[in-house]
Amino acid sequence: MSTDLHTLSGAYAIDALSEEEAREFDRHLQECPACREEVRELRVAAARMGAAEALTAPPALKARVLAAADQLPQLPPKVSPLETVRKRRWSARLVAAAAVVVLALGGGVAVLESQRGENQGGVAATVTQVFQAGDAHTKTVQTDHGSVTVATSPSMGRMAVRTDGLRALGGRHVYQLWAIHGGTPTSAGVVKDLKAGAAMAMPSRGTTVAITVEPEGGSEQPTTAPFVTVDPRSV
Amino acid sequence: MGEPGLRLVPAGGGSADVDVLVGRVARGDASAFEALYDELSSAVFGLARRVVRDPARAEDVTQEVFLEVWRKAARFDSALGKAKTWVMTIAHRRAVDAVRRSESQKRQDERTAPEQVSHDEPADSVIAAEEQGAVRECLETLTDLQLESVRLAYFNGYTYNEVATLLEKPLPTIKTRMRDGLIRLRDCLEGHR
Repeated sequence: MSTDLHTLSGAYAIDALSEEEAREFDRHLQECPACREEVRELRVAAARMGAAEALTAPPALKARVLAAADQLPQLPPKVSPLETVRKRRWSARLVAAAAVVVLALGGGVAVLESQRGENQGGVAATVTQVFQAGDAHTKTVQTDHGSVTVATSPSMGRMAVRTDGLRALGGRHVYQLWAIHGGTPTSAGVVKDLKAGAAMAMPSRGTTVAITVEPEGGSEQPTTAPFVTVDPRSV
Repeated sequence: MGEPGLRLVPAGGGSADVDVLVGRVARGDASAFEALYDELSSAVFGLARRVVRDPARAEDVTQEVFLEVWRKAARFDSALGKAKTWVMTIAHRRAVDAVRRSESQKRQDERTAPEQVSHDEPADSVIAAEEQGAVRECLETLTDLQLESVRLAYFNGYTYNEVATLLEKPLPTIKTRMRDGLIRLRDCLEGHR
C-alpha cells in the first residue's frame, strides 16, 4: 500500500477529504483490507465523539420523520453476498490456482472452493479459517465412509467441511457435495483433495448440504443416496 | 479491554438493541423504526446541531439521516460494525454535506468565530453522561495540534486542506495529525466501553 495514501485514512474516516480525493481513496480501499479495517475502527471512535454531543431533538421532529418514512419505499438488500464475501476474502491475497465452482440454487448460491496451489497436501487455508473463527460451531458426523466435520462461522458467512476423516475411494469414484433446497439437489462441487476439505458461502436458510459417492468427474444429479446430510443451521 | 468486571453494561439502550432494531427496520417494521428513532435521535440531532449549528437545519439533517437509515437498513452489513456507528457515520456525512452546501459567506464568518458548543438541552441519561465523560477524557490525551485538526474537521466540516490553511501548517502534517489523533482517541476509548 502507498504510505502516503494510507495516511489519508484519518481524514477519510471523518469526511475531511475533497470529493475527488474521497473517490480516489474509495478505490484504494478496494485493494487495501488493512485500510478498510483502520477506517472502520476510526469511524467507531468518531461516532462516539459525535454521539457524546447528544441533545434532545425537538419533540415535533419525531412525527415528521415517521410520517416521511411511511411514504418512502425501502431499498432491497444486495443479493450478491457471495461476490461480496469473495471480494472481501480474496482481494488481499493472490490465490494461485483456486478452482471455484459457482452454482445458483433455490434461494442462494453455493460455492465449493478447492484451494490448490496454496496448501500443498494440507488442509485448505479457507477451511482452516472457518474452523478457527472466533464464532465457529463445529460438528463431527460418523458415516459409513468415515468421519466428516462441519464448521460454520456466521461472522465469515461461510461453512467448511473437513473430509480428511473420509476413506479414500477407488480411482473411479469421488465424493461430491450437494446443496439441497426445497428437495432439489444442486452440485456444490467434487471433493478433489480429501486432505484439503472444502469451504463454501453459508447456504441460505432451508438449504441442507449432503455428500454422495459419484463416478469420477462428478454427476449432474446424485446417482446414489447421500451418506451424510447436514443442516448448516444446526451445526 | 479496559477494566474487566468494573463496568456495568447498561440494560436497554445498549448498542446490541440498536443492531436488533436495524434488523427489524430492514424488514419494514415501522415500530422498530420508531424505537430506533427514540434510541438515536438525540445522538444524531446533537451531532447535526454541532456541525450545522442552525437548529432548523439540524432538524432537516436529522430527518435526512433517519430516512436514509430507513431506506438502506437492508443494506446495513452487521459483519462490518455496529449499527450505531453506521447511523452516526451517515449523520456526520449528511451534516458535513449540509455545511458544504451552505453559502461560503456564512462559513467565512464561522471560520474566525470561537468554537461555541451549545449544550442548552443535553440529552439527560446516565449513559449519555458517562459516554460524554469518556470522550472528553480521551480527547484530552491528544496533542493540541491533533485535537484541533480532528475537531475542525469533524465538528466544523472542514477538509484537511482547509484545516491546514486555517492552522498554517503543511498539508502532510495535518493529514498525519488527524490520523494520529483519531488513532489515539480510538485506543483510549477502547478502554472505556
